[in-house]
Amino acid sequence: MTLAADDRRLNDLPRAEQTAVERRDRMFGWLIASPSLGLLFLVILFPVFWALYTSVHDYTLIAPNFDTFNGIDNYTKALGDPEFRHTLWLTAFFVAAVVLLEFALGFLVALMLNSVERFKAIYYAILLCPLLMNPVIVGLIWRMFLHPSLGIVNYLLSLVGIDPVNWLGSTKVALWTIVMVDIWHQVSFMIVLLLAGLSALPREPYEAARVDGASALRSFWHITVPLMLPVIAVTLLIRLIFAVKTYDLVYIMTRGGPGVATDLVSYFIYRTAFVGLNIGEASAMSAILLAVIMGLTVWLHRYMRSLT
Amino acid sequence: MLKKWLLAAALATGLSGPAFAETVNILMEGVPDTEYVKTLLPEFTKETGIEVNLEVVNYAEMHTKLVPQLVAPKGSYSAIVVDFYWVGEFTKAGWLQPLDERIKADNFDTSVYVPKLMDLVGRVDGTTYMLPFYNYAMGLLYRKDLLADEKNKTDFKAKYGFDLDVPKTWDEYLKQVEFFTKDGINGVVNQGLRPDPIAMEWSNYLFANGGEYHDANWKATLNTEAGVKAVEQYATNVNKYGPIGSASFSFDEAFNVMAQGKAYSYITYNFFRAGIDDASKSAVVGKVEIMPVPGTEAGKGGSLNGAWGWAIPKSSPNADAAWKFLKWVESPAIAKKRALQGGSPTRTDVFDDAEVNAKYPYAKALKEMLLTSHNFPVFTYTPQLVEVLGRELSLAVAGEKKPAEALAAIETEMTELAKKDGKLK
Repeated sequence: MTLAADDRRLNDLPRAEQTAVERRDRMFGWLIASPSLGLLFLVILFPVFWALYTSVHDYTLIAPNFDTFNGIDNYTKALGDPEFRHTLWLTAFFVAAVVLLEFALGFLVALMLNSVERFKAIYYAILLCPLLMNPVIVGLIWRMFLHPSLGIVNYLLSLVGIDPVNWLGSTKVALWTIVMVDIWHQVSFMIVLLLAGLSALPREPYEAARVDGASALRSFWHITVPLMLPVIAVTLLIRLIFAVKTYDLVYIMTRGGPGVATDLVSYFIYRTAFVGLNIGEASAMSAILLAVIMGLTVWLHRYMRSLT
Repeated sequence: MLKKWLLAAALATGLSGPAFAETVNILMEGVPDTEYVKTLLPEFTKETGIEVNLEVVNYAEMHTKLVPQLVAPKGSYSAIVVDFYWVGEFTKAGWLQPLDERIKADNFDTSVYVPKLMDLVGRVDGTTYMLPFYNYAMGLLYRKDLLADEKNKTDFKAKYGFDLDVPKTWDEYLKQVEFFTKDGINGVVNQGLRPDPIAMEWSNYLFANGGEYHDANWKATLNTEAGVKAVEQYATNVNKYGPIGSASFSFDEAFNVMAQGKAYSYITYNFFRAGIDDASKSAVVGKVEIMPVPGTEAGKGGSLNGAWGWAIPKSSPNADAAWKFLKWVESPAIAKKRALQGGSPTRTDVFDDAEVNAKYPYAKALKEMLLTSHNFPVFTYTPQLVEVLGRELSLAVAGEKKPAEALAAIETEMTELAKKDGKLK
């Protein structure tokens, strides 16, 4: 906090009022930051600008050139496409479902683990296992588990007298199946981050609350939650951004089907680019998605700051 | 080690020249037919002194690996294999070398290829760009033991009034599907996953009903009586006579159901015929046979054709050596050796070879399948059409669209794509 404040004060000073030492310090700062800034520019800003440039041209893999400028055509075409809009809504629903469910589950498990004294390392190791797996492998494994007649999940259900569930072949179930597998795969990410936040909380407020006779629920609500807000904000934000990008699970498990029940936007953009060969329109769709995610990020960031 | 390093360095700088023994680089898919080629490569090196380096990857990676090399002025692949999906795109983009002059100069006989395969992965608008490598036409796998069962025979005759036998027409087959859905077995298993499994399988239903994708002028002919019937039958087979979940099956899952003896029939790629007799994967060894998908009447087939072709890209660093390899790998002797290992032939002389027929009695059925098969539309936007088909058919199977609605949607998008490609005026 103080560092940032110092920095701001420094910036506010007119150049002439900065001492020579301060100026040299700043120069040196830029110097040592420049290689990483250059790298960031190369691997992040340059592709983003290239994509934006492509999105206003008629650029296809059949004619990969920037000969035809077509303004906002790609954007209007994308937004006018009911299939694209469907994938956007579906993705919004999917993101809300996985982020909220994973957060609720993750927070619960993190709170329980926080009070555990023994074998913490073992719990960590087990929890990290799914996270270390490649999503493609997760998808393949679950496809096998969920095979309606030859898979183990329906077999286990049959032992307790439940009829086989059509996990991936029913339009009503398929999206929830993907949500479930995503939770299995990603919930440990939430747990680990939230747990790190919880174990860094100061002990004093809790002791004071106990002296005052506050119940566990009250101290959770009035101490843990407010203190954890910054961690929660960051965790939700990161998970949200990753959830929007979900592609591998859908590609491996359903290919967007049955019907259009699991057609998430990232997979749709991929198909526009590499099946439809229309890089221009796919770039426009990506730009729209980028704008939505940035808007969400800014909003969430501001909202969380307003709470603290 | 040093040699490998030098080779890599030479390739990286695009200088792979006559300084060392010449190398032909080919990107191939990890399938049985590639393995058969691999075992024969030492013969080629012995004959010509040219080394062959096969880079084997899985299907999903191929297109992404190929395109940058094809666009480059000088790529790293001497020769490539082309799925019929990509033929339109690759030729339209001008990435392949015409082979006609080489064929003429060397008197290479292309008339021995099954004509439908030359149309699919050989000639495009009169120019030969590829030599057909192997075919993966689709056929009907069925349980011959269930057909031969005496009780089934009497029950079937009593119910339908005609004999239970290898189906001669599509309608006969559909009745068998209904009949065999009993005693914990399903009459059929389908591969209903989007996009290519369902699109490819449904194509057989379309052809079996006498339908086609388009007329001679590329006008879509899907929303017709045959098309609607094909969608209805497909949805019924998935939802009523198939195992639960087949709307999301890819071919491996569907194959497993068939191989575990849980289904009477499965329409699929011909290379699964060998797999069903592999005791490590199958519980019905010796009980399954393959035949052409039956059509509207006896003798007419409804099978969908599919194949890969050999080609030399314009960006090939050593086209002459690549042609030497193509000529060799497609020569009668080598083509036969590949077929004897289990490869799927494209040449009629190999199909008719006595040794091949003695080893694989179903070779005759495979040839029949090819001869009566139908081709999928080949144009620049074939993959996009498959995508549209997958979406709409899957919606129809899920009951979210009526068959005619789904077909109308496919026709609209197909017309748009054909116009964009200049096929439809």
